[in-house]
Amino acid sequence: MPASNVNQDRFSFPPIATLRSIGAIHQELLDFIKINDATVVEFSADGQIDISVLQLLEAARLYAGTAGKTIELAEPAAGPLLDTLRRSGFLEGMSAEDAHFWLHQGNIQ
Amino acid sequence: MSFPDPIAVFRMEAAELLEQIEAGLLDLNVNLGDKDQIDAVFRGLHTLKGSGAMFGFEALAGFTHHCETAFDRVRKGEVPATQALVTAVLDAKDHMRALVETPSGDHDARSEHLLARLRQAVEGSDGSAVQAPGGPALTLYKIRFSLPQNAMANGTNPLPLLDELRDLGECRIVADRSAIPALDQLFPTDLHIAWNVELLSAQPRSAIEDVFIFVMDDMELQIEAKQAVLAAAPAAVVHASQSAPPPAPAAVAEAPQAARPAAPAGAPAAETKPAKGSENVRVPAERLDELMDRVGELVIAQSRLSQLAGGSGDLQLRAVSEDVERLSGELRDTMMVLRMVPVAQLFSRFRRLVHDLAHETGKTIELVTEGETTEVDKSVIERLADPLVHLVRNSCDHGLEPPEERLAAGKDEAGHISLSARQQAGEVIITIKDDGRGINKERVRAKAEASGLIPANASLSDQDLYQLIFQPGFSTAQTVTNLSGRGVGMDVVKRTIDALRGTINVVSHPGKGSEISLAIPLTLAIIDGLLVRVGSGRYVIPLSAVEECLELSIEEDMRSRGRSFISLRDSLVPFIRLRDLFRTGTKPDPFQKVVVISTGSERVGLVVDQIIGDHQTVIKAMSKLHHDVATFSGATILGDGDVALILDVGHLVAEGQQQEAHLRAAG
Repeated sequence: MPASNVNQDRFSFPPIATLRSIGAIHQELLDFIKINDATVVEFSADGQIDISVLQLLEAARLYAGTAGKTIELAEPAAGPLLDTLRRSGFLEGMSAEDAHFWLHQGNIQ
Repeated sequence: MSFPDPIAVFRMEAAELLEQIEAGLLDLNVNLGDKDQIDAVFRGLHTLKGSGAMFGFEALAGFTHHCETAFDRVRKGEVPATQALVTAVLDAKDHMRALVETPSGDHDARSEHLLARLRQAVEGSDGSAVQAPGGPALTLYKIRFSLPQNAMANGTNPLPLLDELRDLGECRIVADRSAIPALDQLFPTDLHIAWNVELLSAQPRSAIEDVFIFVMDDMELQIEAKQAVLAAAPAAVVHASQSAPPPAPAAVAEAPQAARPAAPAGAPAAETKPAKGSENVRVPAERLDELMDRVGELVIAQSRLSQLAGGSGDLQLRAVSEDVERLSGELRDTMMVLRMVPVAQLFSRFRRLVHDLAHETGKTIELVTEGETTEVDKSVIERLADPLVHLVRNSCDHGLEPPEERLAAGKDEAGHISLSARQQAGEVIITIKDDGRGINKERVRAKAEASGLIPANASLSDQDLYQLIFQPGFSTAQTVTNLSGRGVGMDVVKRTIDALRGTINVVSHPGKGSEISLAIPLTLAIIDGLLVRVGSGRYVIPLSAVEECLELSIEEDMRSRGRSFISLRDSLVPFIRLRDLFRTGTKPDPFQKVVVISTGSERVGLVVDQIIGDHQTVIKAMSKLHHDVATFSGATILGDGDVALILDVGHLVAEGQQQEAHLRAAG
C-alpha cells in the first residue's frame, strides 16, 4: 500500500485521480477498506476527477456493504467531484441512499 | 496481474490515428468532394480529441478540438473542403504528434500560429453557411447505450460523449450503475456503467449516431424516437424532469427501463449494435524479436537433435526427432508470417512526403504506388524507410523537371513518381521510377573523373557508371536545395541496402526518367537453405533461389573446362566451380552436382561436391572483419556446432553473368 494513506484515518484521493492512476488507487483503497471498519474518503478541492473514480467509489460502496464496513465521503461532493457526477449522469436518478452518500442529503433509515 | 501503461497505449493509438488522419487528408486532397474521407478525417480528429482528454493530454485535446470543429463544419456543408484547409490540417496533424510526444513542451506559439492558419483556411473559403436541417419540429428520443468494457482503457472518455448529447438539445442523462462489481472484483480501467438518456431535439437520428461514430462498431446503442412534438410545447417534458430534486428519480428511472435490450420487440425504431470481440492483439515489436531469437535457437537445437538421431539406431529417438523437426518448421513458418507486414505501411508515408515536396518545389507531382500488399519482414521495412526517403526526395527535387520545362519537352505538366513492390525469388524488389529528365551520364562521368573516383576515359558499363552516384559526397546537382543536392543521402542508400544484403539497380533514359530498383531479401532471420559440401566445407544456398540440381559427370566437367557453360534446355548457363572459387585444394568428387540458382531471369550454376539436403538456416550476421567478403551474406550454425557460410546469391549470379559477358566478348 502506498505510504500516503498508511496509518491515516481517512483515505485521501490524489489531486489527479483519473484513469492514468486508477490502478494504483484501486489497490490502495481496497487495502485501506480491508484494514479499516470505517472508511472516510476525501478529495482535493481543486483536483482532477474522471468517471473511473466514480465507478471505483460505487464499487467500494458495494464491497464495504458486503463486508460489513462503512464508507463515506468526508464532505458532500463539491467542485470537480460534483461536476463529474453531474456530467456522468449520476445526479439524475439517484436513490435516497445515493444522495446521502454523494451529497450528504437526507437520512437513511 | 500487471496493468498496461495507459499512456503508452494511448501514444500508440494516437500514432495510428494520426496516420489515418493523414491518409484521409491526402485522399481528400485528391478529391475534395469525397464525403467518406471528410467523415473519416472528422472521426479521427474526434477520437484523438476524446482520447487525449481522457489521458490528460489537455493541450492536444484543446488543439485538436479546433481542427475537429473545422471538419465538422465541412461535414455539415457549412464550408467547403479546400486544399488550403487540407494543408493547414496536415500541418496541424504534425503538431498534434508533437503534443502527443512531448505534452509538457512549450507548444503555445506553434499552436497559435497553426490555429490562425486554420482559421484563415476556414474563413477564407467561400462557403456559405447551410441552414440547419429540420425546423421547429422536435423529437423526443429515448436512448440507451453502453460502451465496450475496455472503452476507457482504449482511450474513449464517456464524459465528452455525454456532453455532446447535451449539446443536441434538452437532455436528461441517467447513469445505470447496476453492473458495477464490488471493489475486489473490479478491474478499474474497465467500464461497467451504461446510460439512459431522454433527449428532446430538432436534430435527426443521425446526429445522435454521429456522437458515437467512432465507437459505434463495438458498443450497444438503442435509439427510439418516441414522438414528434412541436417546438413550443415539448420543453416541459424535460424541464419537468430537470426541475425534480436529484434524489427523487423513481419516475424517471422507469422510462429508460423500457428501452432495455430485452424489450425491443415492440419498438421497431430501436437499433442495437452487438458488441464485437476483439480480433487483434497488439504485441510490442521487441517481443516479436525475442520470440524470433528463441525460434532461431530452437531451430539450431532441432538441427543438432536431427543429427544425433540420424547417427543413432534408436528408432524411437528418430521418430521424436522427426516430430520436433516438423513442429519447429511449422513454428518457424508461423513466426515468419507474424513478422511479415505489407509494404503499404512503408509506402503510405511517401504520400505525405511527395505532397510536401510538391509544395516546396512548386512542382505538380503525382505519386502512384503499386504492390502495397507485398509482404516483407518487419525489420526490413523499418530499415528501408530512410533509403526510400532519400530516393524519393532526389526524384522529386532533381529528377522531375519544373512544369515549364516539362511542357516545353512535350510532357505532362505533372511529374509522375511510382513506387512499386513485388516479390521475386526470395527477394522483394522495390522500384522508384520517375518520368523526369533522367541521369546525365556525361555529368556523372565528369564528376567521377574530377573526384578521382575513376580514371579519365575509363571504360565503364552504364550500370557501373550509375552506381557512382551512391558514392559518399557524390552529387551532380547544379543547385543545392534544402531537399537534396549535397551528395549526402545516396551513399546512405547504398550503405543501408548493402547492410540488408540487397542490391541496387539503376536504369535511366535521358529525357524519359530513371528507375532505381532495390532488391532486398524477404527476411533477415531464418531461411530455408540447401546445404552443400564443397571440399571439406559446408555452405548454405538460399533455397528460394535454387531452380534445379543437375549432375556433372567427370566427362562433362572435362568437356566444359575453359568454357564453364552447361547446356540447359537449349540455353547456355554459366557455372562457377565453388571448389576453385574457395580454393579448397581438394580433388573433385566423381559425381559433382550443379545447383542452378537465379535472380529473376539471370541464372548461374554452382558446382558443388555434394548436396547434403535442405536445412533450416538461422542467419547470423558476419563479423565486421568479414564485412567486405562479398561472396557470403552471412553464416549459420549447423547441428553439430560447425559454422556454415551462406552464399550471396545476387553476387554469385552477377559474377557468373560477368564471366559469361567476358567469354562472349572474347568470342
